[in-house]
Amino acid sequence: MAASDALLRLRYRFVPDRLFGELLTKSWIDNVIPALALVATVLIMVWIIPGFVSVGTFSDLARQLSEFGLVALALTIVILSGGIDLSVGSMFALCVLAALVSMNVLGLPVGVALAATLATGLVCGLLNGVLIGYLRLRAFITTLVTLVIYRALYDIIFPRVASAIVGSMPVSPTWDLIGFGSFRGVPVSFIIFVLIAVGAHIVLSRLRPGWRLRAVGGARRSAYNAGINVKLTVCLAYVASGVLTATAAFLFSARLGSTGADTGIGMEIAVLTAVVLGGVSLGGGRGSVGNAVIGSVLVLILTSGLIRLSMPGSVNQLILGLVLIAAVLFDAKWVKNRGKLLNKVYISPTYLKLAEQTTRGEQDVLAVNDRLGATQLIGLGQVEGPEDVVLDRDDNLYTGTRHGTIVRFLAPDYARSEVFARIGGHPLGLAFAPNGDLLTCVGGMGVYRVAPDGKVAKVTDETNRSLLSVIDDSRLRLPDDLDVAPDGRIFFSEATIRYEMSEWAVDALEGRGNGRLICHDPKTGSTRTVLRGLIFPNGVTICRDGQSLLFAETWACRINRYWFDGPNKGKLEIFLDNLPGYPDNLNRGSDGTYWIALLGMRTRTFDLAMRKPAFRRRMARRIAADEWMFPNINRGCVLRVSASGEIIDALWDKAGENHPSITSTCEHKGWLYLGGVSNNRIGRVRIEGADPEWTSQGDYWGRR
Amino acid sequence: MGLGAFVRGLFPAGDAGISVPAMDGIFKPNNRLEEAERLLSLSAIDNLAVTPGGLLCSAGTRLFRIEPHGATATAVEIAGFSAPVTFVASAADGRLAVGVEGDGIHIGQPGAWRRIDPRGVNGSCLTAGAFASDGTLFVCVGSREHPARDWKRDLMEGGASGEVFAVGPTDGSCRVVASGLAFPNGVALLGDGRLAISESWRHRIVTIDPKSAARPVAILEDLPAYPSRLSPASGGGLWMALFAPRRQLFELVLREDDYRREMMATIDPDEWIGPELAGSARPDQPLSQGSVRQMGVLKPWAPSRSYGLVARCDRNGVPRESWHSRADGSMHGITSVCEQGGDVYATSRGSGTLLRLAAAANDGGSAHG
Repeated sequence: MAASDALLRLRYRFVPDRLFGELLTKSWIDNVIPALALVATVLIMVWIIPGFVSVGTFSDLARQLSEFGLVALALTIVILSGGIDLSVGSMFALCVLAALVSMNVLGLPVGVALAATLATGLVCGLLNGVLIGYLRLRAFITTLVTLVIYRALYDIIFPRVASAIVGSMPVSPTWDLIGFGSFRGVPVSFIIFVLIAVGAHIVLSRLRPGWRLRAVGGARRSAYNAGINVKLTVCLAYVASGVLTATAAFLFSARLGSTGADTGIGMEIAVLTAVVLGGVSLGGGRGSVGNAVIGSVLVLILTSGLIRLSMPGSVNQLILGLVLIAAVLFDAKWVKNRGKLLNKVYISPTYLKLAEQTTRGEQDVLAVNDRLGATQLIGLGQVEGPEDVVLDRDDNLYTGTRHGTIVRFLAPDYARSEVFARIGGHPLGLAFAPNGDLLTCVGGMGVYRVAPDGKVAKVTDETNRSLLSVIDDSRLRLPDDLDVAPDGRIFFSEATIRYEMSEWAVDALEGRGNGRLICHDPKTGSTRTVLRGLIFPNGVTICRDGQSLLFAETWACRINRYWFDGPNKGKLEIFLDNLPGYPDNLNRGSDGTYWIALLGMRTRTFDLAMRKPAFRRRMARRIAADEWMFPNINRGCVLRVSASGEIIDALWDKAGENHPSITSTCEHKGWLYLGGVSNNRIGRVRIEGADPEWTSQGDYWGRR
Repeated sequence: MGLGAFVRGLFPAGDAGISVPAMDGIFKPNNRLEEAERLLSLSAIDNLAVTPGGLLCSAGTRLFRIEPHGATATAVEIAGFSAPVTFVASAADGRLAVGVEGDGIHIGQPGAWRRIDPRGVNGSCLTAGAFASDGTLFVCVGSREHPARDWKRDLMEGGASGEVFAVGPTDGSCRVVASGLAFPNGVALLGDGRLAISESWRHRIVTIDPKSAARPVAILEDLPAYPSRLSPASGGGLWMALFAPRRQLFELVLREDDYRREMMATIDPDEWIGPELAGSARPDQPLSQGSVRQMGVLKPWAPSRSYGLVARCDRNGVPRESWHSRADGSMHGITSVCEQGGDVYATSRGSGTLLRLAAAANDGGSAHG
């Protein structure tokens, strides 16, 4: 058993299961599969076509890509808006005609010709946009009709100007530069394409028009309700499509200098294949410039490879069609199942062995008693989720609630209460700064400061991003408890970086070191992570030496001591190990002691499950979350330990009626106040023999 | 096996969701068991039996006669035994049969017992018994391997070694009627001479024809809880006590061989994941996430380990009515229910309470139909 346990431990230490789930949460994961398909296609082409890799191939590819890719970008923008543009091929042909007529027939300057070309595209796109955006016609049928109309226009005009186009060659170095020139070996048209693509990427992914476009494509009604001008956004998507197609047509005209009857025919299907293959979802709202580029390269390599293999054109089309169907199928399945897959694989339990609990006799300090069974109740039914409790110098009691407020109960009888501050998130840890400000860790938000007049200000909500973390750990997800060092630095714990506040219990199932200890220095305003890889770090309290702090690692059932200053700076040691339950907040007590609130008690079945990660993973997948095994958090217990880490007292709520899951304690003038994150009351119980003048504030900052 | 179960069995289910039948339809939860009259508090109260001389019940090593006085009742001890009583049955002529753990079956009257020690049978796991009209006694043996108090271990080991045997009316000869049952835990005679047997670990009721060698036939399957003792209802129906709920977590543990084996080897049975007769206040008891007390309230639909459930079936074996005590209640671990003179009594072994149920609805096959 021991050997297999050791193997299990090593396996879970070195195989990073969790990464798979974390990767799936990234938005760029949509690009990975098309990119892999691209690599595979290139490798196959290199393998079956001799001499595929050459400078000529790439320069050719680059020139084709700049035209094809721009049209793909055009279509991507339209698809992102939730529509489709089948008329890109005909539009392309018309724009080519406009460019060539301007240059070859009319002999206009390049700038004017460009303007004329873009104007043609703009008008074509605008027609689509008005019909679809404002008149609410179906995108598919509308662009199918405009495809026919634009093509008919082309077929009418082209024969009349064909000989004139062929007859004269424009004399313009700029025109030639765009068509054939290169800069350090890179075709100029490709550089133009790259610039436009980068610009489009920034607009789509970083700027407001792009976000609005995605919003409209993803959920039209929600976008409308959010105040987005849906009609205008859709219309502009088609206009953008027209202008980008026109740009592509201009590059094409400059390169070839002529056009034929078949220009642009079948282009829409090739571009559509490219876009879908690249990973732009036909449903709208999902996709990027990267997708379009990857798909374009893939389709171009495929077609040019097939031509080099001297396949007939019809076979070529057939293969492209099959690829499109496969891509559409994959897209539909992927969009549908990605969330499900993520749900299944995100939870990634690991091996966690806790020391065996000793069986305890009746006389043991930890023997169950009922000293918390008859506490005085404060605010019964008035507070929900008082995770932490703290008292000010005037004996008023403060606590956070899950409604996002900090409630103040007024001394001396705590019968009256008032909302002290509205935060917006669930305040967890509370502590007073020396100047009387109330500092709080707010779940899902960060660390906040409440002035004595109730004014709320943010202290910090981010820390430094760690280098090797897949998920973005710079934002604070679940700051839990904090304390203030003598020099004013705020040390706080973040319980987990993998789950939100509402799912904190799922982290128990993982048992991994997902949490960290963070320090905020108000003098410099900087926030830095001090320790990471902690197993649900929870309560934090500064020791009386002013150089070290205690923090609880909840699922590991231990309290650690960490020196942040002085000669031992950086040292981390275990203060108290193998607790009978899961420690939550830690607080100073009178006589140099510390109070430990245990949010739940260990059970042997759960301890065993913590040594069986695969079992827990199957549990998470196979049964409903409500049925998941859990530590027994329906029984409450508070421990009192000496400064050297010796348990000297235990207070239990035997029936668990009043104070199950105690998450914090606060000693104040001979009373112990109790909070619980899933409770609707605060309790207070008289501590026998405690100094009736002792207050936590006095202990920290001296008597006033 | 139903078609659905057969099809499911064809596919490997390593990652598939586990479900248990929902408490729905006729098993829609109510609080009628919790609100039933609590006549008597008696620790370890277990098996009820209706005799011509009144209602009897077993509790621990002793046998009591129940004397109702309006809203309360008193228990008068009529017999004591050397070991815990595992079942009581009574014949129409007033004869009693009492199963005593490890001490065989006692037949007769208090003070005039005739002891029968059936050969080749695990005498410490006689879970239930019933007399036929000809005086034959049918007895359920939950498991060949474990005594009755170790029922949890039998469940966790996937026990299917239970038997039903018949004791002849005159000579005391024993004959095995059925074997290979998964913890038969209750028996009742149906009108046509067949036996209804509750097979706890397979969550079903089967019928056995004691005169033929035919295999047991299931009449009620996929119960939402583990069935326990059965007794006839007036009008030809059947009363069914269900002693503990089925939960997804239990079903998962029953499928997770590695976890279950280590749990059985290293952890005290009181702390195992699995069904229980009563909730416990001990802090070392396992808990499901949904059973966490929120804002001072334990939700009644919490996936608790214990539950109180009684059901009444009509003459065709179809459940018609149910009485519940839910996760937030305490009348859990119902092991016996019986009908006497128009009143229905049930024993909550978990809480040690004798209950009198509210009148049943009239639907044809009922007690008052």
